[in-house]
Amino acid sequence: MNDSAKTLNVHGRFEGRATTGWVRYVVMVQKEVLELARSYKLLWVPLVFILLGMMQPVSTYYMPVILERAGSLPEGTVIDIPMPQGAEVLAQTLQQFGTLGVLVLVLAFMGTVSGERMSGVAAIIMVKPISPLAYIGSKWTAMLLLTWGSLTAGYLGSWYYTGLLIGEVPLIDVCRSLFVYGLWLSMVMVIALLLSTWLRSPAAAAFATFGGALVLTLLAHLFPAFLGWTPGSLSGYAYQLAASSMEDSKMLGYAVASTLVGAGVCISLSAALLSKSSTDE
Amino acid sequence: MTTLLQVMGLSKSFGAVNAVNGIHFSITEGHCAALLGPNGAGKTTTIRMIAGLLRQTAGQLIFEGKEPGGKHRELIGYLPQTPSFYNWMTGLEFVVYAGRLSGLSSAAARKNALALVERVGLAGAAKRRIGSYSGGMKQRLGLAQALTHQPKLLILDEPVSALDPLGRREVLELLHELKQETTILFSTHVLHDAEELCDDVIIMRSGQVALQGPLEEIRRKHRKLTMELQIENDAASREWLSSYIHNVQQEIDSSNLSCLFEAAEQHQVGARFTVKDSDAARRHLVEALARHQVKVTKLELGHSSLEDLFMEVVST
Amino acid sequence: MNEPFVLADLIPVLAPIFVIQLILMIIALVLCAKAERTRGPKWVWVIVIVLINIFGPIAFFIGGRRSE
Repeated sequence: MNDSAKTLNVHGRFEGRATTGWVRYVVMVQKEVLELARSYKLLWVPLVFILLGMMQPVSTYYMPVILERAGSLPEGTVIDIPMPQGAEVLAQTLQQFGTLGVLVLVLAFMGTVSGERMSGVAAIIMVKPISPLAYIGSKWTAMLLLTWGSLTAGYLGSWYYTGLLIGEVPLIDVCRSLFVYGLWLSMVMVIALLLSTWLRSPAAAAFATFGGALVLTLLAHLFPAFLGWTPGSLSGYAYQLAASSMEDSKMLGYAVASTLVGAGVCISLSAALLSKSSTDE
Repeated sequence: MTTLLQVMGLSKSFGAVNAVNGIHFSITEGHCAALLGPNGAGKTTTIRMIAGLLRQTAGQLIFEGKEPGGKHRELIGYLPQTPSFYNWMTGLEFVVYAGRLSGLSSAAARKNALALVERVGLAGAAKRRIGSYSGGMKQRLGLAQALTHQPKLLILDEPVSALDPLGRREVLELLHELKQETTILFSTHVLHDAEELCDDVIIMRSGQVALQGPLEEIRRKHRKLTMELQIENDAASREWLSSYIHNVQQEIDSSNLSCLFEAAEQHQVGARFTVKDSDAARRHLVEALARHQVKVTKLELGHSSLEDLFMEVVST
Repeated sequence: MNEPFVLADLIPVLAPIFVIQLILMIIALVLCAKAERTRGPKWVWVIVIVLINIFGPIAFFIGGRRSE
C-alpha cells in the first residue's frame, strides 16, 4: 500500500507535464481504432468491400454462362450480351459500394456516439479535460480510416479483376474516381456521425443517414444544372471519372469544395450538439 | 486552510421543476465533505454541475478563487453513480486511457494505472475485460480512473449505495485512505457513511441546503440531552406512564417557559424524553417514579444522535 | 461470341472470392461461439452464417450480438 502510494506521488500531476490537446486527440483516435480492431470491424468491413469489388467484374464476365446454366432457356438460344467496357464495370462497382457498401459502413457506425452516451461511459470521458471537438474528431478520423481503407482495397480488387477479365483501365482514372468517391463516402459518414450525436436511437440515425444521402444524390442528379456543385453530385462525377468521360471539371471542383465545407460544418455542429446535450440533460 | 471550491447561489431547474434552488457551500482543501440527503433532494444534480456535466441555471462555482474556464476539469476526479466503461477494454487499459485523457504522458499514465489498480484491489483482474467485472469491481475501477491524474478534488456520486455489504466495506476503507491525500466530496443518503468518513456535512432537502458545517460542530451544537425510561409491563406502571406523558405533553404544548422537557414520546413499556436541564428533569422524573412506586427497569441519560438530527432536518 | 469456359481457368479466378467468403464465415462463427448473448438463438445464427453467402455473416456482425 505504502509503496504504491509513493509511486503515485512521484508520477502525479506535478511531475508529468500535461500533454497538449493534440496528443489527447491522437490518444482518442488510437482508442477508436483499437475498438474497431477488437470488434473485428477492421477486418470484416474491408473484406466485404473487397468481395463486392471482386464480384462485380467476375459476375459480369460469367453472366452469360450463369444464364446458360440456369437452363430455363429453350434449346439453341444464343445468348448475346455485349461485354461491357472495363470502365463501365468499375462504375458499376462504385454503385455497389454506394448501396451495399454504404449500408455496411453506416450500420457499423450508427451507434458510435449515441451508444457511448446511452451506456453512460460518455459521462466519465467528457469530464476529462478534452474538448467535444476532439472527441467528435477522433470518431470521424476512425470512420474515415476504415471507409477509405475499405474503399481503396475493394476498388483496387475490382480494378485488378476487371483488367484480368474484361479490359485494362488506366490507373490514373481509377485513382481520380477513387478520390472523388471517397470524398462522397466521407460526406455520408459525417452525416452519420452528426445524426448519431443528435438522435438517441442508432437505428433512427442509420435510417436518417440513408434518407439524407439518397435525397442529396437524387436532387443533384435530377437538377444537375442547379445542384452540380453539391456533395450529392460527387458519386455521379466519380462514375464519369472512372469512364474517363469527365464533362465539367469546374463543377467537380465546386462539388469537392462544397463537400469539404459541408463536412466541416457537420463536424462543428456535432461537437456543439455534444457539448450542449452533455451539459443540459 | 484554503477554500478549494466555493458554490454560490447554485440553481438548476428542469422546465418548471427546481431541482436545486440557490445553494451555497464551500469545500476546504484537505477536508472530506458529504452531501447528505434523501433521494430526490438534488444531490446528483449538484454533483453533476460541479463536475461540469450539467450547466447551472444560475449561480457560480469558484475553484481555487477562480471561475472555471474548462481548466478546472484537470483538478477534478469524478465517479458517477453507476459508472459504465468500455466493456471491450481491460481494467488496466481503461485506467491508462483515463490518465492519458487527463493529460498524463504515456509512461506516467501507465505507471499510475499499475499502481492504482493494485491499490484498489484489482491487480488480479486488471487484464480481464471490464465486461466481466462485478458491480463492486466496477466501482473500484471507477475510483482508479478518477484518481489517475492526482485530482485536487475527488467527486463521488453515491459511491457505496449500490454495493453489497462486502463491497461497501472495501470502498469505504479505500476512501478512508484517500482522504489523507486529497479533498473529497461525496453524496450519500446514508448518514452512517457520512459520519464514518467526513469532516464536514452539507445536508440537503428538496433542492436546498438544510444544514451544513463541520460534523463535530453540528454534533455539539445540536446535541440534546435525552432520558430513556423503561418500566415493567404491569397495568399500574403502564397507566402511570400514560398519565405522566400526558401531563408532560400538555406542559410542552402550553409553551411554558419553565417546562423542563422539549419532547416526549412513548413506546410500549418506556418513553424517551428530550430535556432542557438534565438534573432538574431527572429529579422531577425520579420523584414521580418513587411517589407512584413505578417498577423501573431502566433509566438512562444520554444525548440525541446525529441520526435523530438528520431525521428531524430532513423530514420537517 | 464468348470464349469457351474451362474449369481450370475458373479456379484461380474464383478461389480468392471463396477464400474471403470463408474467412468472413469463420470470423462470424467464432464470434457467435464466443458471444455471451446473441439476438435470437445461437443455432439459428449458425445456420444463417453458414447458408447465406456474404450477407449471413454481415447480418451477424451488425445485429447478432447483444452488448451488455
